[in-house]
Amino acid sequence: MNDMADIGLSDLLLGFVILVVPLFVFLYYRIRLVKDIFISTSRMIIQLALVAVYLEWIFEMNNPWINSLWVFAMVLVGAGTTVYRVQLRWRVFFIPLVLAGLLSMVIIDGFFIGLVIRLDYFFDARYFIPISGMVLGNSINHNIVGLSAYFDGLSKHRELYYFILTNNGSRKKAIRPYIQEALTKGLNPLLATMSVMGLISLPGMMTGQILGGASPATAIKYQIMIMLAIFAGCTMILIMSILYSNFFVFDQYDNIRPIKANDRNR
Amino acid sequence: MIIETENISLLFNGISVFKNLSFRIGAGENVCFSGPSGTGKSTLLRMLQGYVLPASGTIRIAGKELDAFNIRQIRQMMAYVPQNIHLPVGNGKELLKLTGRENNAMLTGEFIEKLGMTAGMLYRDFDEMSGGQKQRIVIAVCLSLQKEIILLDEPTSSLDDESTDRMIDVLENLEGKTLVSASHNHRWIRSAGKVISL
Repeated sequence: MNDMADIGLSDLLLGFVILVVPLFVFLYYRIRLVKDIFISTSRMIIQLALVAVYLEWIFEMNNPWINSLWVFAMVLVGAGTTVYRVQLRWRVFFIPLVLAGLLSMVIIDGFFIGLVIRLDYFFDARYFIPISGMVLGNSINHNIVGLSAYFDGLSKHRELYYFILTNNGSRKKAIRPYIQEALTKGLNPLLATMSVMGLISLPGMMTGQILGGASPATAIKYQIMIMLAIFAGCTMILIMSILYSNFFVFDQYDNIRPIKANDRNR
Repeated sequence: MIIETENISLLFNGISVFKNLSFRIGAGENVCFSGPSGTGKSTLLRMLQGYVLPASGTIRIAGKELDAFNIRQIRQMMAYVPQNIHLPVGNGKELLKLTGRENNAMLTGEFIEKLGMTAGMLYRDFDEMSGGQKQRIVIAVCLSLQKEIILLDEPTSSLDDESTDRMIDVLENLEGKTLVSASHNHRWIRSAGKVISL
């Protein structure tokens, strides 16, 4: 099962015709996102084309340092995107988020590649890069939702934080409801996705493997493994992002410092 | 003295709110900060909890200087009733749980009854309560923590005269507790043993 029908360039271009539908909908309802469709699609094409070139080269080299550097770059982009989307202060939050991403990837890759798949060559680009990429790619959305819930909660409901802090006496307890909210909002959609997987959604990785010639049984086993990796990875990245950020969120009196990029010192 | 301040000053955006304020509060005293809006009454209560630092001067609680080293120990002695009682929490029981004293439900119920409601109100949704009912639940939760110092920020802002009198009565009968409040309410101010005007 290794013969995969290639898509010719003209056929790929034909695929873009389907964009007429969203364009029509956006124009009809006067949604000011038409320009964004062109920008996003163009960015996707350019980025994926560059990735194709990089990956061809990276897969050919299959060097542990280059492969690790690639994963490191993915961690940096993930952390940067999250800081930007949650509108956090770059100088304060970028490093904690990078550390959260790196440590989570060490644990996830170590567990799944080292213990579950048991590869002879741990840094094999065919496994190391896609597994890390799947986890990091998925974690961005969940991290953005979770961190937004956490930091917005602390900003908007700081009266509750101070109420618990004085009456309970512990910062750990005072931030617990905000962490609960962040984990629930950040990870609930992922649990929902897992619960309907195969029923109303066919996961992309499994579909890709089957299209690429793998047997459905193998593809499903990999899909289960990657979903476990994604769920555990997203949880780790989110909770570590929160815990590492906390070193900079509170001052020595446990007061909440300015969090958002546009927050003034209070 | 359980609370002592020495020449404390508060600056807000570079403007002086109060300057060189010194006072001493003994254990078991009932002290009220009074004065027009914007004179720093609520901020003074926040200062005593270490949430706002004085621009100058020192604060001592139970003989310990209020600094980053002692602050957690100092807060262990305090209960705080905030001015804004619309906290994002479902009901009184949840609020009690957040204070880490969920086993205090019975005592909280007793305080709720003393404040003129039924103990079962602890479990009723805050959304179904009036501001006055909610305020009394929050106060009952804080009283049930049995801390040495009770800080109350505008504790009667949503209460009618009858409920205010009932609360004054409950607080006057607390033994050995130091009450420090900020209020505009004349009944409340009259009930205080000492008034510090700002």
